[in-house]
Amino acid sequence: MYEIITPILLLSFLCAMIGSLAAITLPRVWTILTLIALMSAFGAGCFVLFTHTSWQWESSFSLSETPVFLQLDALSSFFLLLLAVVAIAGTIYARSYWPDSRYPHSSVQGRLWWNLMLTGMVLVLIASNGLYFLLGWELFAVSAFFLITLDSHNPQVRNAGWLYLAASHAGTIVLFAFFTTLAVHTGSWELGPVTHLPELKPLFWLALLGFGIKAGIFPLHIWLPSAHANAPSHVSALLSGVALKIGMYGIIRFSGWLPLPTLAGWVLAGAGCTSAVLGVAFALGQHDLKRLLAYHSVENIGIILMGLGFGIVALEHGLPYWGILALAGGLLHIWNHGLFKALLFFGAGAVLQTTKTREMSTLGGLWRCMPWTAGLFALGSLAICGLPPLNGFVSEWLIYSGLLTASTLVTPLSLGAATIAVLLSITSALALACFIKVCGVVFLGAPRSRQAENAKECDWNMRTAMLVLAGACVTIGLLPTLVWPVLMRVASTWSPSALPNIPPALISLGNAHLLLAVLGVVTVLGMLVFVRNKIHRAPTWDCGYVRPTPRMQYTAGSFAGIITAWFSSILRPVTYQLRPTTFFPVKATDISHTPETVLKYLIQPVGRVFIVLGDLATSFQHGRIQSYILYLFMALLVLVGAVTMVHLW
Amino acid sequence: MSILEPACYLLFWILVPPLLPGIINRVKAKVAGRQGPPLLQLYYDLCKLWRKNIVLSTLASPGFLIAPTVAWVATLTAAMLIPLAGAGNINPFDGDVILMVYLLALARFCTAWGAMETGSAFEGMGTAREVSFAVLAEIGIITAMLTLIMHSGSITLVNMFIPLSGSNATLLAIGVFILLLAENCRVPFDDPTTHLELTMIHEVMVLDHSGPPWALILHGAAIKLMLFAIILVQIIFPVSEMPLGQSLLWLAGGVLAVTIAVGLVESLIARLAFRRVPLLLTIGFLFCLFPLLLTWMGMSYE
Repeated sequence: MYEIITPILLLSFLCAMIGSLAAITLPRVWTILTLIALMSAFGAGCFVLFTHTSWQWESSFSLSETPVFLQLDALSSFFLLLLAVVAIAGTIYARSYWPDSRYPHSSVQGRLWWNLMLTGMVLVLIASNGLYFLLGWELFAVSAFFLITLDSHNPQVRNAGWLYLAASHAGTIVLFAFFTTLAVHTGSWELGPVTHLPELKPLFWLALLGFGIKAGIFPLHIWLPSAHANAPSHVSALLSGVALKIGMYGIIRFSGWLPLPTLAGWVLAGAGCTSAVLGVAFALGQHDLKRLLAYHSVENIGIILMGLGFGIVALEHGLPYWGILALAGGLLHIWNHGLFKALLFFGAGAVLQTTKTREMSTLGGLWRCMPWTAGLFALGSLAICGLPPLNGFVSEWLIYSGLLTASTLVTPLSLGAATIAVLLSITSALALACFIKVCGVVFLGAPRSRQAENAKECDWNMRTAMLVLAGACVTIGLLPTLVWPVLMRVASTWSPSALPNIPPALISLGNAHLLLAVLGVVTVLGMLVFVRNKIHRAPTWDCGYVRPTPRMQYTAGSFAGIITAWFSSILRPVTYQLRPTTFFPVKATDISHTPETVLKYLIQPVGRVFIVLGDLATSFQHGRIQSYILYLFMALLVLVGAVTMVHLW
Repeated sequence: MSILEPACYLLFWILVPPLLPGIINRVKAKVAGRQGPPLLQLYYDLCKLWRKNIVLSTLASPGFLIAPTVAWVATLTAAMLIPLAGAGNINPFDGDVILMVYLLALARFCTAWGAMETGSAFEGMGTAREVSFAVLAEIGIITAMLTLIMHSGSITLVNMFIPLSGSNATLLAIGVFILLLAENCRVPFDDPTTHLELTMIHEVMVLDHSGPPWALILHGAAIKLMLFAIILVQIIFPVSEMPLGQSLLWLAGGVLAVTIAVGLVESLIARLAFRRVPLLLTIGFLFCLFPLLLTWMGMSYE
């Protein structure tokens, strides 16, 4: 049955490789080949998910006596589908966003590394062998570095790239340790369930650390804001929508395969709560549109972990119904976040392309010039805030259902569940505040600068990419029952028995969403028709707003001021004020800015210690040959002394 | 289920809520020794506004008209999920309580969106305050719902309202009453009778609306007040087990009592200093949190 997948995946691989050759001179051929590659990968993923098969392929080709062993099961296909959809949208988007006409050199590199990064991620997803997993992981990590630094003339971009590379390799080192320890204990590089070896329990923490850096769990997220902000927007979308999820894939995969330590579920859920609340708090403090979206990735990874972590807690209780709901919610949020976050990054890219700035407080009133972008961005905002009837709400609702059902049990677990539920509600209320800020400051009101006034709508390639993702968001929102069988297939990673029917509540929720959508559309259309002849235009009234200027509007900083003040002990915002001190009006300034606090107060001090140690070491290396001979002589003496001592013993 | 039943609920939620602001205003007038506006004043206002033209800010997009409409639909849908005493609700399902809370959040998103459309400093200020304080209010609401869920062992709104013990019911009722005042922009958080002060929260957000959309906003506010009043009444008197007619009478009496209490609070207390607002909201949250902990402890010792 599953033999058909081999040629499909081979076709996908060949198209991706030939596509990367074509990327050099034939951009149109590149687009077509990459799209074919992604669509066939999509097809393979759908085939596995909907026919209850899984695909395995072992080659005679081997590297250091390890044969290539590939496997596409439900979990890999789940991530493969997300990768394919976001990358299809990204490929179309990149045609207009990073065209040859504007970036003659880096556009070629961009296409080449794009294909290599996708290949690397797919290899990670289908590798069933530690060695090839690491190879794919490195290919993906390094090509992501080159994609982030496409605009390498800009020093900020280069810094972001280096930070990413350093963090990513710190993660790789941990993963090397993880995979080699695993291989030593199991005797081969082959990956598979090892739950029968309880001595491997501590390895889970190693996996969590290594994959957690890639997934951007707070406080391992330090590379994420600057990399996402400075990468070209189609790359940001792929990084945030898919690359972070590859880290999640690692965590999920090995939480199913490794024997789990007792507290694993609670630690994951706790990390999720921290990431979610602090991620959105940091997002509120940002004035840079893409940086803000990047912090929301930290938040959403947190929401995913809340669901998954609590589901893993449930595993210890035999995976009751509430655990399945929480797991399903966490899994669905992986797709949902990939879809709406890519949509939002595409929207931010469209704004950035025409206005040349990511600084929100210089924008404003963009809906007039960019109605498509504004509308689609608003849809993405509603989805990311978890509002009905869109997809974000479906996954949050599933997580809530799991948590609330668990809180009816009268055990200490129910207090834990209640706490997570309250934190989830804080997160989504903060996200709502943050996206009102973004939409209001960027798209609504009056333009604050000339660039904002003369913005241009993006072209049809970019709009198509956004429409594809928006369509997916609406579909999952209105027809949530469609995805339930898929989620249950994936949940069998943990427990093969987890295949219950569609919960009746989910069907009711789907109906409620459809009803709400129909009612909303009908009422809105009715309203617009009813008032079409009744509208007069006048300046904003606002209790007698005599001489309005765009600079009087609330800015990104002032809007979030109340909440950033609540969190100031963690966010540590930097403010600079120049107050007028005389009686007559003079120039005054107030600048506030929220830095990456973990990087600034935790990682950088530690890094400085290493730099000081390194400086000390360089003082031994000064080019005076006499001293070098002295070192040799002393080393020899020490060696002779040591050998003699050993012998005497 | 026939089409008649949903139509009855819809008619109830469209026709009855505008009565509540009228009652509040009458109570305030009586306490102040004035004649006061007629009880049905809001109905007259709504009819008048429905016929009026709209003055639209030159900065506003079509979203300025769409947002209040969607907010109204969301509030109405949330209200339809609330069980009406013995009559229950139309389509109860597990987890409808979350849908209700998030529909109210959708309404808040839309109102805030509308306010940001006008590009004014004043409305931006109101929006910033509203969405910030909503964080505290939302924690309170979720905690209150968690208390009911833990006590009743059900996550369906219809089955959630079963009698709490006296002390828990009192604490929770105080907490929910504080949240009711905050979420419906009543004194001491906000003052619905004025738009002109710098300490306003919710009311400045809707300054630029006029005509039919403004009617929808006023009507939506009345629905939301009724929704919170019904929740509060059912926390204190879980009436769902009585016969239909009797339970509806009790519910009506309870809602009337809550409305009068709101009017009395408004007559007797001045608006809070602005910086105290988060403090009072936190107190409201704590009033919801204690019954949660007490319920959990009481049930685990049984």
